[in-house]
Amino acid sequence: MEPETRKKVVVIPCSGIGKALGSVSREATYELVENLRKGVTDTICLALLVSGDKESLQLVQDNKCVTVDGCPLQCAEKNVKLAGGDLAASFRVVDALRENRKLKPKRVAFLDDDGVQLATVLAKQIAGKVDEILRT
Amino acid sequence: MSEYLQTVFDKFELRVRKGYYYTEDGLWASVEGGSVRVGVSDYAQRTGGDVAFVELVKQGSKVERGAEMGTLETAKTTVSLLSPISGTVDQINDRLAEKPELVNSDPYGEGWMVILVPHNLEDDLKALMSADDYFKLMLKKLETEHKKLETR
Amino acid sequence: MVDLPEKKVGIISCSGEACIEGTISRIATRIVLEQLRPEETVTICLPLFLAGGEEERVFARYFPTITVDGCEKLCAKIGTERYSGKPASSIVVTDLTKDRQSSRLHSRRKLEGEALTVAMEVAERIAQEVDEVLKHWR
Repeated sequence: MEPETRKKVVVIPCSGIGKALGSVSREATYELVENLRKGVTDTICLALLVSGDKESLQLVQDNKCVTVDGCPLQCAEKNVKLAGGDLAASFRVVDALRENRKLKPKRVAFLDDDGVQLATVLAKQIAGKVDEILRT
Repeated sequence: MSEYLQTVFDKFELRVRKGYYYTEDGLWASVEGGSVRVGVSDYAQRTGGDVAFVELVKQGSKVERGAEMGTLETAKTTVSLLSPISGTVDQINDRLAEKPELVNSDPYGEGWMVILVPHNLEDDLKALMSADDYFKLMLKKLETEHKKLETR
Repeated sequence: MVDLPEKKVGIISCSGEACIEGTISRIATRIVLEQLRPEETVTICLPLFLAGGEEERVFARYFPTITVDGCEKLCAKIGTERYSGKPASSIVVTDLTKDRQSSRLHSRRKLEGEALTVAMEVAERIAQEVDEVLKHWR
């Protein structure tokens, strides 16, 4: 298969700016897309998708999507569904926090060590799901 | 007529349910026949942050007024929940184990925590604040928060 | 009712992940909120705003807003105009970085070196706009 036509999993974080959990969602996505599953994953701006950008809409409709939300408001999941995206899985940072209680992120702009670690843990979980999705 | 006293701080609307009783820490108590339902206020959940865990004493436990009846763990901190009244725990909100976010989304409704059979209701209620008094306290806390920002 | 400040400015930042300018807009906005103008500003979470977050939209309808976009797609500006009204001011980060070599801005994930300098400059610019908006509003 030509690289250009190989499907990727599109990972969309909420990137909420008001809470540290939003920063963790963003960092986890970067860790996945730039490191753990580089080449088989991609990310897009949630705001661009919600604005109705044609390219973004096409991307989420043509590929499996995974959303990474900071908090239970789940803006990324809701908006990807509204955009008609092929949603294969959803993750919430708050659930990763429940499994790793010591890793409480304390800063929003520049994540502290606990925040970065939590993002790494979450990224690994998402990587496992990405592998599952790519196998099907 | 609204069921709530409310104010706006920054972009957030903060509500205090009328007819409930309150502790200074922001726990509310609602008298329902012979029982008392307990939860946390809108201001308390807002300042605490996204709730990740709610741990509560077991059904059947006896709690004293002011003693710990559980803990609330958020993305930011862990808060001790001090019982507003003395009583025996009759029911626990089991839904909070799987959906702790109910404390944030509906603190006066589905986010309730325990139902107590009170031991000394009349005396305990006298030690609590009315909704009006808690609302004034909340406004004072908001003003202090604003002044802290001013002096930075 | 306590005498809270009546005038606050809502900062709506794009926070886009796809390019470094999105990260710069995010960090610059947080710097304004946390350090430069903490009592005069409020952040509006753009995804929540676009998804229908009531508190965000009501605030943006009644209080002045400044949008900070990473690129010319202007998600924050267009979204604000659509759901709440014209922002008092709009900043586009690529307008401020066009004279800099993009190769020196490096990673979109973690701001360092020149990118961090740019974020500070954007933050100062936002702070100046906040002052202007409040001067005319008061």
